[in-house]
Amino acid sequence: MNKVLRSVRDGVGFDILLIGAALLFLVAFAGVPLIYNVLMSFQKVDMFNLGAFVRPLVGFANYASVVAQPEFWLVARNTLLFVVGSIGGQFVLGFALALFFARGFPGAATIRGLFLVSWVMPGLVVGAIWSWILAGDFGVLNHLLKSVGTIQSNIFWKSDPSFSIWAVIIANIWLGLAFNMLLLSVGLHGIPRELYEAARVDGANTWQRFWFITLPMMRSTIGAVLSLGLIATLQQFDLFPAITEGGPANSSMVSQYWAWQASFKLYDFAKGATISVMMLVLVLLASVIYVRSTRHEVRG
Amino acid sequence: MSARGWTNWALLALALALAAVYLFPLYWMYVTALKTGTEIFANPPTFWPQAPVVDAFPMVWETRTMATYLSNSVLIAAGVTAITVTLGSGCAYVLARYRNGWIDVGLFVVLMLQVLPASVMVTPLFVAFSQIGLLSYPRTAVILAAAAKAMPFFVVLVRATFMTVPRELEEAAMVDGASRAGAFFRIVLPLARNGILVCAILTFMSAFGEYIYSKSIIQTPALQPASVGLSTFIGPNAKDWSGIMAYAAIYVTPILAIFVLLQRRIVSGLTSGALK
Repeated sequence: MNKVLRSVRDGVGFDILLIGAALLFLVAFAGVPLIYNVLMSFQKVDMFNLGAFVRPLVGFANYASVVAQPEFWLVARNTLLFVVGSIGGQFVLGFALALFFARGFPGAATIRGLFLVSWVMPGLVVGAIWSWILAGDFGVLNHLLKSVGTIQSNIFWKSDPSFSIWAVIIANIWLGLAFNMLLLSVGLHGIPRELYEAARVDGANTWQRFWFITLPMMRSTIGAVLSLGLIATLQQFDLFPAITEGGPANSSMVSQYWAWQASFKLYDFAKGATISVMMLVLVLLASVIYVRSTRHEVRG
Repeated sequence: MSARGWTNWALLALALALAAVYLFPLYWMYVTALKTGTEIFANPPTFWPQAPVVDAFPMVWETRTMATYLSNSVLIAAGVTAITVTLGSGCAYVLARYRNGWIDVGLFVVLMLQVLPASVMVTPLFVAFSQIGLLSYPRTAVILAAAAKAMPFFVVLVRATFMTVPRELEEAAMVDGASRAGAFFRIVLPLARNGILVCAILTFMSAFGEYIYSKSIIQTPALQPASVGLSTFIGPNAKDWSGIMAYAAIYVTPILAIFVLLQRRIVSGLTSGALK
């Protein structure tokens, strides 16, 4: 016993205690729930047996019933659109801004830092502000678009089924843009200047320097940014209750909000768990790419 | 002035214009909160309030019981930060100090847990909490759930800080007779203090805005945080824009103030951890 105490104070026991406490906590409140979630997706769970520890197993019945839902393919399409649209917008705009701020004029770093304010804002507040900007009759975005002549009449971003998912995508692009820009800036900063000078001596133009130096040198950063973008987009939840609540008629429903609605509006916890597990497969795919593209850096 | 000087000024002006466009939503929140009820729905909208009024702020503070909501938010954020910093710092230190197969497994677990969406975790957490009776203490339940969500990211960032602490200092202290624990608490922790502090503030800020766990787990309005309070009057059918924007402004102004004060440190803390 004395030996154990000694080890905790002055040996490898100290390290095991430090890391063990954290990992135990994470296993209890993240690892176990994760496995429990998979288990529930094969069970019948309703309000009556919610407290029971043993519930009837139903095989793949939950999965079959989720796929058989009339809105399933609409939700899948919306989720794909939300992911591709958000990541595309965040990445292209973020990369453009990162390249712009990489020109290193006075004040560049400070102004770039200001953009990160979106990152610390509560998602629900961002959703509320965009909900007001995108309002159909009195929204400022419609006014601006009309005054520059892009549109003739008001777009009802939130209540028109063909625009509702785009309303959330626009807000999500704003939210994630700064983080994309910051990470890409770090990547740009790591490219040796001599490469550009050598290319200039050889007569490469701006486009060629971007295509043959910047992009190849940024490959691992871009991989990390895109996979982080995928993870963050699938984690994005707060914007949906704030802007559209998935409506109208599920036209802006995505998997993460659908799963939550199944559990906490319909109290069909098995269905919520099942949708979550299907989503997890996508998330795990993204994280494998992320871990692969950052692995050599993580090991340092 | 030289050609390069002019270019720099032009770039600076363009950068400021881009920042202004990007930060417009924040501006719009404050301006709307200051407008009168009729001016909000003016067509065309006014970009500067004609007759600024602050009535909306005390109104929304009273009618929406913001004092209760905000104190719950602070309580939850403080609990999440305390757990995350206490458990996360030690974990990050060990992950930074050693390099072997076990550490790689630990890192992999942390990275994987970082990607789990809260919307996936909320269903099993809710069911499990209701089974073990934790739902009777809803704020504690939210703190535990949100701390598990926040910790992996904290560990990744703080680990980068510990990597910058030279190992020789720790070894020197141990040669001088300090124990492992003594060297950690008296040498390593003080040197990593700033990095831990920045990450603790980031954790606090994100827990201050936490929504999904609180919305799902806390049913009693008197125990809900400000995010849930805001959710009661927004959504696709929102009408009271003056109240919503005033509420939002009261809610985020402290966060924005901290961000502006610590902007440099936050940005460098993020860049050192996120890609490494």
